Amino acid sequence: MSLSAKARMQFMKDLGFPAMLSLAKATKGKRKPRKANPDFGPPLRCATRLKEIMTRHYYLSRFAPGARPVAWVTSGAPVELLRAFDFYTIYPENHGALCGAQKMGPELCAAAEDEGYSPDLCSYARVDLGHFFSGKTPAGKLPKPDILFCSNNICQTVVYWYKVLAHRLGIPLLMFDTPFNYGEITEANIAYMKDQILEMIPVLEKASGKAFDMERFLRLAELSKSASQLWGQCLETMQARPAPMTIFDAFVHLAPVVSLRGLPVARNYYEILLAELTDRVERGIGAITNEKKRLMWDNIAVWYKVRDFSELFAARGMNFVAATYTNAWAETIQHLDMSHPWESLAKTYSLVILNNNLEHRLGLMEKMVREYAVDGLVVHSARSCKPYSLGQYDLKRLLSQRLGIPAVVIEADITDYRFFSEEQALTRLEAFFESLEAA
Amino acid sequence: MSPAQLPSRGDYFKQWRGGGKVCAVFPAQYPKELLWAHGVLPMEVWDPPLAPARAQGHLQPYICSVVRQGLELLLAGGMDEVGAILFPHTCDSLQNLASLVADYLEPPAPSLFFYNPKAPFAAAAKGFYVSQLQALEEDLTLIFGPAPEGAMEQALEWSRRLSELYAQAYARRAAGELGVGAEEFYRLLRAGEYLHPRDYIPLLEAWLNEAPAQGGPKGQGIIISGVLPSPPDLMETLDGLDFRVVHDDLISMSRRLLYPPPGQGDPLEALAESFLAMPPCSTRGSSLSERLEWLKGLAQSGGAQGVVFSVVKFCEPELFDLPELRRGLKEAGLPSLVLEVDVNQEVGGQAATRLEAFGEMLS
Repeated sequence: MSLSAKARMQFMKDLGFPAMLSLAKATKGKRKPRKANPDFGPPLRCATRLKEIMTRHYYLSRFAPGARPVAWVTSGAPVELLRAFDFYTIYPENHGALCGAQKMGPELCAAAEDEGYSPDLCSYARVDLGHFFSGKTPAGKLPKPDILFCSNNICQTVVYWYKVLAHRLGIPLLMFDTPFNYGEITEANIAYMKDQILEMIPVLEKASGKAFDMERFLRLAELSKSASQLWGQCLETMQARPAPMTIFDAFVHLAPVVSLRGLPVARNYYEILLAELTDRVERGIGAITNEKKRLMWDNIAVWYKVRDFSELFAARGMNFVAATYTNAWAETIQHLDMSHPWESLAKTYSLVILNNNLEHRLGLMEKMVREYAVDGLVVHSARSCKPYSLGQYDLKRLLSQRLGIPAVVIEADITDYRFFSEEQALTRLEAFFESLEAA
Repeated sequence: MSPAQLPSRGDYFKQWRGGGKVCAVFPAQYPKELLWAHGVLPMEVWDPPLAPARAQGHLQPYICSVVRQGLELLLAGGMDEVGAILFPHTCDSLQNLASLVADYLEPPAPSLFFYNPKAPFAAAAKGFYVSQLQALEEDLTLIFGPAPEGAMEQALEWSRRLSELYAQAYARRAAGELGVGAEEFYRLLRAGEYLHPRDYIPLLEAWLNEAPAQGGPKGQGIIISGVLPSPPDLMETLDGLDFRVVHDDLISMSRRLLYPPPGQGDPLEALAESFLAMPPCSTRGSSLSERLEWLKGLAQSGGAQGVVFSVVKFCEPELFDLPELRRGLKEAGLPSLVLEVDVNQEVGGQAATRLEAFGEMLS
């Protein structure tokens, strides 16, 4: 790491970014405000703070190379380890969601396809590889990583994807292998994961040039835990009727717990978000103005359709109040125990929804339907995500049978809208709306 | 011994289950020696020739045909008489299929799971693999009863002998000393997916003794890479176009058949060492550099002029590795061709034309 790079990054952090933000605010003040949609309650005030945090994160990342070691990380990897070595972390999945929301998915996917990657592969991976090959991104510029860190607790896909990056960049890939839980987690699995973590520490020491400090690690792990717990509490406020935010809001406000977990900024953000949501609940302020039906979403968001879907459902008085996806960053955090850091870190990351059997998922969905008073289920069959999608037809059938709620499957993709038929989705949704309204 | 003398899967299964125990096994790698030690016949399920019907109600159209056909066989009653169904952990789709079957589809027999470590380079992988073997051993004992004394040693002996025979078959073919085409070669080797080693070893020995040294295809030397030598008419097409398949890099074949024979020490330790020393594979976390060097080595040893990637549609592990492998092979002067196949569909005229053009380009 060079002193000049460190000084430059510090300067941008202390002066450059705040100046840029002030300029952006001054410009924004002159823009005409968007006309309010009467189907929605007042927007969350926190949204502005969220935008600042994420813009700052991506902006400062440009100045990280040379100043701090840089890692590209999968959303389910135990990032607390990297925090202890002061890595600047970039989450290609979060970047993929950003590209999807900006409707850049097809363009970046096509750039990867031009290099030989099949259109049948995960579109987060294709977006990331397309960015890698073309340099295009709505985030301005992403820093090249010094290492890659992935865990297959969300899918095996990330292993294949990160192997390509490691090969192209000629950098180390740290892989945290989390055996799939067909039933209860076993002691052998925990021991295997703990041993892997211990093997990684010297590699990270070498890559970062820093010695491992257990006290620092525990402090950062505690920060990570509190951010995830606060995120869980934010989601729980949606049990109120009317719910103070929609799941489409939650898809966006999820970004810090995914990308900045283990940093004070994430915990601080969820403290203010929770305070705002609690206040809205106390004052009876709903995310939508006429909440008649409450829904649950299964799978990753359809990023290029978040706004459209949000408006489509709100216009019918339907609010998504729960999602298996947003819940994933809060569901297992109670296992993290600083008195047994390695074993508990292994459990926390191994027991996430996608590394667990379908019976676990069905049980979780049943619990959420009850706790959030859900009236109907929308299942996004995402061709990009096989571990999330294979089994959904049966989950939908069983949940409908057991709880007597209407459910619908829509076939789509997370970022690549070339694989989305709006007409077909709307036809299915219309039938769903009818059955929901008749229920 | 000729392929025509091989018993069919159906006939062999009927004959075996008269007095024996059977376990259906989904792809790809599993410790078959443990099953043999318990007197259990593994019946591997790769590409049962069934029209997809019942499976469609459970699987999205973007799930690969290996998973689809396997589920179809189960739902059509093809596993009704097995004693257990084993699901090795291979990829996301097979992982979820295992959970789907075990949790919701009321399978006719208990489901067994076996997790192949995806970080075999980690020092922790060996101990973990041994723990997986122990867990499977316990499950097999519960279902099929304990392995008789000396049965594990016998199973390892079969494994060592098969390892030698596979190595011999591949080496003779690479050296141009096995005068058979791809169709015959793979029909014989795929018989190991359902024959017990007690029956299979003598058949393989006889075939290797009797197979002519000359007389196979004489055209361009190629390597085939992908999941499995299927659909069967692909092999016939390659033979028809006079391609000389000098080696393969298929998940169902050389990537798991050319295993180093288990050593003489503790049986489970020996099996773990064998597994960790298998050829590189997309499903086991092998790096692209390893795979590329391996492929280049295969081409060099057999004098191959090109590589045909026969990839099952929607197979993520293989499709992700493909562009970098092709790029590296091209830099090494080895052109390649990609065929996307479904295991239950014929190759078709277009693929045959592309193969023909590829052969002309190589010459």
